[in-house]
Parts: sequence; structure tokens; C-alpha cells
Amino acid sequence: MAAILPDDIRPVLDNGIPAIMVTCSAEGIPNVTVISQVYYVDQGHVALSFQFFNKTIRNVRENPRAFVCVNDVAGLAPWILRLEFQRTETEGAIFDAMDMQIEAIASATGMSGIFKLRGADIYRVLSVERIAAPESAVSR
Amino acid sequence: MHPVVIPGKIVRFLEQHANLAFAGSCDRNLVPHGHRVSGWHVAADGRTLTALVAERFTAGLVENLEDNGQLALTVEEFPSHETYQFKGRYLGHRPAGDEDYAAVARIRDRFVRSVRPLYADAPDSLLQAFITEPELAVQFEVREVFLQTPGPGAGTRLVPPVQS
Repeated sequence: MAAILPDDIRPVLDNGIPAIMVTCSAEGIPNVTVISQVYYVDQGHVALSFQFFNKTIRNVRENPRAFVCVNDVAGLAPWILRLEFQRTETEGAIFDAMDMQIEAIASATGMSGIFKLRGADIYRVLSVERIAAPESAVSR
Repeated sequence: MHPVVIPGKIVRFLEQHANLAFAGSCDRNLVPHGHRVSGWHVAADGRTLTALVAERFTAGLVENLEDNGQLALTVEEFPSHETYQFKGRYLGHRPAGDEDYAAVARIRDRFVRSVRPLYADAPDSLLQAFITEPELAVQFEVREVFLQTPGPGAGTRLVPPVQS
């Protein structure tokens, strides 16, 4: 099972709005975290930053499945990516580009020096879905 | 893990400052599922939380919870990014009602006030629409609370305290 990322999602991945990532331990305990970037690698892959040895990093190394929700602020229609962790890259073009983006995000959010990229975790895209915007977001 | 009491400081964060939330569940094949949350209630005893799950984000949730009972809820204050994660056991669910819509309306107002300085030209309706109406109220018993504010301390368990 694999999916192709549509061109429509490219600007959403680059919009600088934090995304949400859900993983699951081997014991079936979910974990929800905010991630600062989802980096477009190619039509079938994205990279997520590996900055700290946290629960998310441990989870995907024992259970490679992941759920990511990317926020399209302009369109109010979030995108859902279902992913499978493949490998970590610690050098090369993807790593360098993510490192630069993270520094820019950290600088813009007053967190320079806190974020340091340890690796670029490469994920295969299993499915991609755009959740339709509600007809009336505030109906009551 | 046993039920815990959410510290008063974090209850105040939930009730006065937090403005965004997302829940996670896991199916029987260990596939994670995410559910946007529009609001929340803290029970008077500080032991249970009710997550008000947004329209369009309830798929699979009840099935997963009835299968394994595990729920994670991350609640954030944007744009400060102060964030906590609550993990616990599912107790029950019901359709969202008037009290839930009122809670979401308060959180929506709080969200708009918080992000207004960042998006000075955005119409209120655009910012309000980010917090959608709730569909389902899911109650769970909190068993662990984690600091999730971005940085090296993210993921530290606050309650129960980690034994050194």
C-alpha cells in the first residue's frame, strides 16, 4: 500500500504551521505530539525531524506506523497522512535542508539553540486524505 | 498505572489558558489514529477529563477505545506552545450536548484572542472556524501527565513523578 502526495499539499507542508503526529507503542499506547515541520522528499515520502530521544522516536522504531495531521489554515481543510517509518538520515541533502528549516523556525519562535536536528526520519506515505471543511464551522 | 489527580496548576492551564487539543487512539493492528479535539472539561475531582472530539475526526475512535481503552490527549496554548499530554483509560462516551458547545465556544474565543496579534488582518470568522463544533464527548480517567512543551524536557512525566 502506497500513495502519491498531490501537488495541492506542497504549500500546506511549507506553511510553517505546526502539525500533529500520533504514534503507538508496541503495547498499543498512543502518543500525540506537535511537530514543527513535515518535509516533502518526493511524491511517496516525507521526512520528519528527529531532535530528541523522545517517546515518538522510540515508538516509531518499535512500531513504524504514524498518523500526521497537517493544518491548511487558509483552506480550513486539514490533511491526514498515514505513514510508515523507513530509515534515519544523518547527512545529505534532505538532512541539510531540514536543519536549515529548523533553525529558521527556531529563530522565528524564539527557540534558537533549543532545537538541534539529530536526524531526518524518512517515512513512506501509505495514504493521504484531505478532510473536507465543515459547511459551517461555527454552527451554534 | 493507577488513576492520578491532575495538579492544580495544570487544571488552571486547562481551564484558563489552553486553546488547542488533539487526541490519539490505537487500533487492534497497532495503527495510530488522530482525532482533533475542540474542547474539554476537567471533572471536579481532577481525576477525569472529557475530550470534546470535533466533527469529522471521530472515525474509529469509539471502536479503538472499546477495544483497548487507551487514549492520549495533548493540550496546548498557542502561540506560547506550553503543552501537556494526558494518558489514561476510557470510561465512556456520549453525543456532544449544550454544555459541550458552550465550553467549545469559550475555548474558541480564547483561541481567537491569543492568535489575533499574529494574524491582525484575518477576519474573526476565519480564526473562529479553526475550532470546529464537537460531535462526541469522551470521558477518560487520567493515569499519567507529561510535559510536552517543545524542547529538551518534552516528554518528561510529571504525574506520577518519575522515580530516580
